[in-house]
Amino acid sequence: MRYPKRIGRLSVPGRKVQLATAAMLVATTVAACGGQDDGAKASAPKAPATIPELTKDPLTLSFIWFDWPPAHALEAFANAEYKKERPNATIKVNTVPNANWHDAIFTQFAAHKTDFDIPILDSQHIGEAVTNGNILDITDFVKTNIDVKAYNPYLLAAYGQFPQAETGKRDENASLYGLPLLGDTWTMIYRKDLIGDKPPQTWDQMISVAEKCQTDHPGVSGLAFHQANGSDAAAVTYNTVNGVYGGNLWDSKTRKIDGVLNDTAGQEAMDVLVNKMKPLTAKGSGNWFIDEVNAAVAQGKACIAFNWIAASGGLLDPKQSTLGTTREQILDKLGFATLPSQKTNLVPLGGMGMHVSAYSSKTNQAEALNFMKWFERADIQKKWAAAGGVPSRKDALESPEFLNAGPFNQVYTDSVPRMRDMWNVPEYARLVDIENTNVNAALNGAKKPKDALDDIAKEQQGVLDSGSRKGGGGL
Amino acid sequence: MSDPAPLTTDHPGQAASATPPAPGRSRRLSDRGLAVAFISPALLLLLAMSVFPLLWALYLSFTDYSATRGGPAHFIWFENYTAILTSAQVHLRALTTLIYVFGAVTLQTVLGFAIAYLISRRTHGRGLLTTLFLVPMMLSPVVVGLFWRFMLDAQFGVINSMLGSLGLGQVEWLTRQRTALISLIVVDTWQWTPFIMLIALAGLTAVPKYLYEAASIDRASEWFRFRTITLPLVWPLLLIAVLFRAIEAFRLFDLVYILTSGGPGVSTETLSFHVYKVAFLGFNTGTASAYGILMVLIVIVLTQLYLRYLNKLKED
Repeated sequence: MRYPKRIGRLSVPGRKVQLATAAMLVATTVAACGGQDDGAKASAPKAPATIPELTKDPLTLSFIWFDWPPAHALEAFANAEYKKERPNATIKVNTVPNANWHDAIFTQFAAHKTDFDIPILDSQHIGEAVTNGNILDITDFVKTNIDVKAYNPYLLAAYGQFPQAETGKRDENASLYGLPLLGDTWTMIYRKDLIGDKPPQTWDQMISVAEKCQTDHPGVSGLAFHQANGSDAAAVTYNTVNGVYGGNLWDSKTRKIDGVLNDTAGQEAMDVLVNKMKPLTAKGSGNWFIDEVNAAVAQGKACIAFNWIAASGGLLDPKQSTLGTTREQILDKLGFATLPSQKTNLVPLGGMGMHVSAYSSKTNQAEALNFMKWFERADIQKKWAAAGGVPSRKDALESPEFLNAGPFNQVYTDSVPRMRDMWNVPEYARLVDIENTNVNAALNGAKKPKDALDDIAKEQQGVLDSGSRKGGGGL
Repeated sequence: MSDPAPLTTDHPGQAASATPPAPGRSRRLSDRGLAVAFISPALLLLLAMSVFPLLWALYLSFTDYSATRGGPAHFIWFENYTAILTSAQVHLRALTTLIYVFGAVTLQTVLGFAIAYLISRRTHGRGLLTTLFLVPMMLSPVVVGLFWRFMLDAQFGVINSMLGSLGLGQVEWLTRQRTALISLIVVDTWQWTPFIMLIALAGLTAVPKYLYEAASIDRASEWFRFRTITLPLVWPLLLIAVLFRAIEAFRLFDLVYILTSGGPGVSTETLSFHVYKVAFLGFNTGTASAYGILMVLIVIVLTQLYLRYLNKLKED
């Protein structure tokens, strides 16, 4: 006999399944809610003043950086040299595309679990990492193990100190969260065979020389520089011109951007960039960054170009260049110089520091501290310079190992006293995105220069002032 | 003489239960229990990977939580939703997304149907042609984005090189406001027209041949046959393909990321790309969750309206 099935009531196994599902959802939610307490601390944990006992077991010390020649140079150099002192340690430099660099590091920080021990952060990322407690406070460790007087104080501050160093002076009382790994700034690359051996000295002179070169040599553009809206490309370009023409990015004491960035000097800088420099670039160069600028130089398509020194090594490789079949032939045509000055002689600060992940194991944190102490030694800094790195110790910067390693290294040494960084605040990623997209829009005709600059100032001010806002953060 | 086996049974599964259980099988494990045991791994996976994250995102959307800043999540109720719906930045991205979806899906539908119609009229090599046309659809969007980026490069790209050999000037495909969005639409169309073509082809081959035979006896013109037989019969299937493509296009992220990074300025930033920036540049997890939930709601509501229209079409 068949019984009619009751409607509206599940069978016992069905109810059990539903109950189990609900219980699992509640349990997972509670577990996830509970996990948030881990992040309640808002300051960086402290590293020990002395290096703890190191393991004798095989160990891999992992870095994370973006994919460019210095990353590969570091892995090769560290495995060759550090292994001499720590044979059980292997150095692995994991790389990600430049555009994913910040996200790749901070998404792991958000998970409170990292597959790297030493994140290589851009100098402006330190604020975000410190306030979120993602990297170790190494102030005590530095006091005990590092000769801070050996460094240019601004470089030590730029790559490790938070809050940011103002006016290029290191605050002796501020905490340190990192140590210099690779210094960098822009170099002016110019065609000696097209514009002569002597590089232009002022920004206005540079523009007129580029204009003449472009007119005299059809098919070669007067200028090549970063304009892309990814990473910090277009933003660094505007900030450089802004600095040279006497502008300021903000008033750090009052946290005021609107009215400072877009003052008369700022407007003039934007006008120079969009109306005088942009017409001298190649058509369609509005999305160029490091590689594209290097390609234009290597193919003989630019009279004057600007690029990061650490990324310029490939220009001397005959396999990648149409300017000559040997390094000497290429150097007959290419010259490297410090940036021209105008109202000021400021140049952009590039480069990065080493930090220790707060989520790395104690064993690896100890190894990371030992590596940093080793890396900052005078003899190792000179070896790093000879291997293609850009050191931050004063003795290494003046050493023949560094100055003879590349034709642009003297440019770096000469540029160090002229450096200016961006805002080293936790909101950096959003500030730079606002500037990047608006400068890129102005360079590509999507916005008028004045409107773009006013929009940058207004939107960036909104980000700095949004601390008390409750909803819609990030829009 | 053995007993005759039952010819029918109310529950097919009961026929099996008449046989003795297999050795080792627990007597307490009923058929239903067995069914639950089999589906529970998939069910658990679905709950853990889809249902829970969705519910969690829904919860976070009512808070000011940030994944990197940590700390407790404070309830701010609908403030994220209000901020998103009233944001001029969001409106701008919504308009860009709308233009993109409309442009790309319209172009794909016209081209996809045209190609399918032409292929369906061939008797030889139809399989080979269909396979060749499907190749773009099988590629990863990142790969497609990268090689189109090279091809569209204003200085070194093959497209401008071809235009130059025809005596035409250089076009800044990816760095001008209008051409950048058009480039995105063209690349998406190149990749996804085969999808529409495939579904249209299935519809075209399912049209009964006797209808065409009857029409040719009546000496109906080619256009009349297309308008009164082909299109009405394929139309419902085509609309389903359009629905799938529109949902996919609405979520566009990868091509924008590779080809234009949303530029020049933010002129090719779609809603998905903007959500990514909100979520990962400032790690505003609460806002990004609300943004994502709103996008899901929009898709659900529009899909429901569309399906109702489809049902109405079917009833008519």
